[in-house]
Order: sequence, then C-alpha cells, then structure tokens
Amino acid sequence: MKISELLTTDLIKLSTEAQDKDGILQEMIETLEKNNKISDKDEFYQVILEREEKSSTGVGNGVAIPHGQSDVVEEAALVFAKSEAGIDFDSRDGEPAKIFFMIAVPEGGSSDHLSVLSKLSRKLMHEDFRTDLLNADSKEELLEVIEAEEE
Amino acid sequence: MKKIVAVTACPTGIAHTFMAAEALEEAAKKKDVEIKVETRGAEGVEDELNEEDIEEADAVIIAADTDVKTDRFRGTAMISVAVGDAIDDAEGLIDEALTKAENYDPSDEDLVEDVKERKSERSSERSGAYKHLMNGVSRMIPFVVAGGLAIALAFAVGGIHMKGALAGALGQLKGAGFTLMVPILAGFIASSIADRPGLAPGMIGGYLANDLGAGFLGGIVAGFLAGYVTQWLKDTIKLPKTMQGLKPVLILPLLSTLIVGLLMIFVIGKPMGAVMSGLKGWLEGMTGTNRILLGAIIGAMMAFDMGGPVNKAAYTFGAGLLASEASTGPVIMAAVMAAGMTPPLGLALATFMAPDKFDEQQHEAGKAAAVLGISFVTEGAIPFAAADPIKIIPSIMTGSAVAGGLSMLFRATLQAPHGGIFVLAIPGAVGNLFMYGVSILAGTVVTALLVSTLKNKVK
Repeated sequence: MKISELLTTDLIKLSTEAQDKDGILQEMIETLEKNNKISDKDEFYQVILEREEKSSTGVGNGVAIPHGQSDVVEEAALVFAKSEAGIDFDSRDGEPAKIFFMIAVPEGGSSDHLSVLSKLSRKLMHEDFRTDLLNADSKEELLEVIEAEEE
Repeated sequence: MKKIVAVTACPTGIAHTFMAAEALEEAAKKKDVEIKVETRGAEGVEDELNEEDIEEADAVIIAADTDVKTDRFRGTAMISVAVGDAIDDAEGLIDEALTKAENYDPSDEDLVEDVKERKSERSSERSGAYKHLMNGVSRMIPFVVAGGLAIALAFAVGGIHMKGALAGALGQLKGAGFTLMVPILAGFIASSIADRPGLAPGMIGGYLANDLGAGFLGGIVAGFLAGYVTQWLKDTIKLPKTMQGLKPVLILPLLSTLIVGLLMIFVIGKPMGAVMSGLKGWLEGMTGTNRILLGAIIGAMMAFDMGGPVNKAAYTFGAGLLASEASTGPVIMAAVMAAGMTPPLGLALATFMAPDKFDEQQHEAGKAAAVLGISFVTEGAIPFAAADPIKIIPSIMTGSAVAGGLSMLFRATLQAPHGGIFVLAIPGAVGNLFMYGVSILAGTVVTALLVSTLKNKVK
C-alpha cells in the first residue's frame, strides 16, 4: 500500500482559512466527513481532542499530525493541509505549524495502512521532504513529492 | 564504532514511535555511531533487539511514553526519556547515553538497586483490578502511618487513657488521619479507574462506608463502584459540543455521586457493615489456637510471593484493620510486619551460618538483605528465591508462619503499618515489645535453619 492510496486529491487542502488549532482540526475533520471516510464527525472530533489532551501532536519543525483510531472511521485516510502563515498548535518547540497530516485509522481490521503511516511519520523528520511539501503549488505537485519519496 | 540500541514507543503507536526512531537513526548517522532502534508501534514490534545487539551495545536509549520492560538491558548503561525528547533532540540523547556509558560500572547495580528495579517493574506490570486497588492502598498508607504513630505517641505521653492536653491533641490527630483513610482509599481506587472524575464519587462513597460502619472493606467496594460507574457514565453520555464543558464539572460528579451514594446508603452499606462487625466479632473472640493459625496463614502469605499480590492481600488486610478496628487491627498488623521481615533476615543469617552453600555474590547480597529485612522490605528475599525457588520459598514461608503465629500468640501490637525495626524506637508504637522481638528472631532463625539445611553446597 502507498501513501497516495490514502491521500487522494479531494483530501488535500493547499490553503486554509483556519486561524487556530481548533479551526484547523474542524476543517480537516469536515473534509474527512465530506469524503465519507468517517461516519460521525462529533465522535471523531472527540477522539482527536482526547489524543491532543494527552500531548500535542505538533511535533515541531512546523509539522502536526493529529491522529485518531475509532470505529467511526469507515476507511483509513489521510488529510493534508498547509498554512502559509502557520497556526499555533501548542507544538513542542513552540513554533507555529505549517504542515498538517490528519490520520484516521479504523478500529481493528487490516493493518496495511499502519506501515504506510509509520513510513510517512519517518519521512516527516527529513527537512528536504518538509521543504518540498511546503513548496508544492498544486495538488498534483504535492502528490508527486510524496510519490517520489516513496520510490 | 560505538553502538547504541534504542526502543521507541508511544500510546497510539502510529506516528511518534516512528518519528523518534527516524530522528535517532539520523542523529546516529551524523555522529558516526551504530544504532539499532526497536519500534513498538500499533502494528507490533519491529526490528526487535536480540541478545547479540544488546550484548554489543555500549548504551541503551528508551524513548517511550508507555511502559517498556527494561530487565533485558540490565548491566548496560541506560537512559530513559519521553518519546518526544527523542524527536526534539536525538543528538543530545546519543551524547548523553555515551557519556553515561563511559562512567558506567555494572557492579554498581547492587542488590538494593536490583530490588528497587524489580519492585517498580512489578508495579508497572500490575493490571486491572489489582492495579486500581494498589493505587488506593499506596495512597492510604501514609494516612495510616500518621494516624497510627500519633496514637502511639499519645499513649507514650499520657498513658493508656491518654491523659493530658498533649495526649488529647495527639488522639485528635489520629482521629483525623484514620477518618480520612477510607475516603482516600476509595477515592484513589476510583480515580485509578476513571481518572480525575472518579475522585469525588470515590471519596464520598468511602466517607459513607466509614459512616455506615463498613470500614475499609466497604471503602474498597465503594472505590470500585465509583470508578466503574463514573467510567461508564463518561463513555455513555454524549453531549453536543457546546455543552461538553458541563460534563466534567457538573454532570459526571452529580450523577456518579448520586448513584454511588444512594447505593452505599440503601444497598451496600448495611451488608458490608454486617460483614465488618462479623469480622470484628470473629477476630475478638478467637481462641489461642485459632489466633496462632491465623497469624501463621497471614505470615505464610507474606512470604509466598515476597511483595506480589498474595503478600499485598495480607498486608492490605492488616493495614485496613489497623485503622478500622482499634482492638484487633494492631495485633494483625504486628503479625504482618514480623512475617514480612523474616524472609530477607533469615536468608541473610543463612549466608553466615552456611557460607559454603552460597557463592560470593550471594554473600554480598546477604548483607544487603539484612538491611532490607530490618526495613520490612520483603522483596529483599527475591534474588535468593529467584535463584532456587523450590528450596527457598517453602523455607521462608515456614519462617514467616512461625513469626506471624508467635506474634499473634503473644498479642504483640503494632500501631503503624510500616517502618521495620525503626518503628520499634518510637515510644508506644509496639505493644509487648520484648516478645515481639522474640517472634521476629524465632522466624528468622527457623528460616535460616531450613535454608541452610535444604540448600546444596556450591561447587
């Protein structure tokens, strides 16, 4: 399985109007719902919030990876969002986050998607990859960046 | 080239585990250090470290927000941090680990450390109801210590009738400590189950248990009831987002307290009160033979698993009774502590009585076990029992049964639930001090004799 199978163009948002952490979370969850990836928006929001309460998923270097595993997830999916200005995400290094990957994982079932997500997490630690993601101007270009990295 | 092994883990096991692993691998590459990182993620364990890896490693880095067992790394320099620390500053961690390795001397890990490690491993392995109960008991003990020693001092200052203003005040202190004990027990059992929202219904339930004469047994029931009820309410009640804020501050405390409180008052309180007064009557009316038998059983339990669940069951019984039953509690508590001290003491004595049956390392361990024994740390016997369980465990159980039975026979009393030999120095803490000392000594000698007879010579 590949990252591009979890992240379709409909799930990519190259710009966001959200101003704060709650706003960007809501926006990404709505994207999941519109694409029928989750069956209950409020429930999944709770799952995401519970994870954030334990410790922020803003991992520093401008990256945030809010994630949740729940039975309201119909199908494993990723949402990508980008904020030029950056959003305060209570990140570990105190810097605003610019790259967001929301990860939705169903309860039980196949674990194919898990290894994809662990690979993505590893890649996000590389500065080149982050810069390329930030510089991608179109959805297609963004997917190309990800696919190139997967080769 | 230096080699490091690392383990990364996080609660969900999807992202941070792997980010930390990547960060460590990248940092090691930069610093020209060989590294192997075991990831414990949602999919399971990947790149599992084998014995050879650990053998070759100069240092171990644990970057995890979940419990990672560390016994396989014993004897190698290790640092343990949160998973986020590895993402933030992996290079710093590698430096820190290598510095630690340079100044590391494996022989520093002596028995006392070993016992401490085993104790903390055991508490991290605890699960389910037992874990919740121990969370409550460990929070309760300081209250019993404070209350118990206050009453001991009151007796010392004002005699058995606690005459005088100071003695009266000390008696009041004891009252406060013991009154708080059951609510604390129940509250922390409940909050172990249901987090913070469990505390209020648990403490209120525990207070009612006290009030209804249901004592510490009622408190344990109240704590579990409050914890599971609150957890159920937390999971079941769904509110629209705008009203979410009301859940922890209004809805959960109100509903959980109503359910727990009313159940305690109308359903559980009375039968639990009857159980407690039955227990009290039985303990008070016990004849000599039965007293010795009970003391022997409690004693054998203390030694059986040296700090494990059976030991803790006997201990909780003693400490709980200490606060709720002024007449019989201190008698049981005395037997519990005597029996808990003799396993390490007896083994220490055995290393002197039969030096040819222990290797050099065990001779060293014997000295440490003596210190642990006088401090009432039964776990001090574990290193010996682990090496030869078939011979050691029956021996220490017999010795502890002797100590517990004798202590009960002599009606020795102990007002504090801990302290070992040091509590004997506090005036009034121990009743029938001389015969109590005899009981502990007898248990120690029996243990040592059995161990030195049963064990084979070291070749």
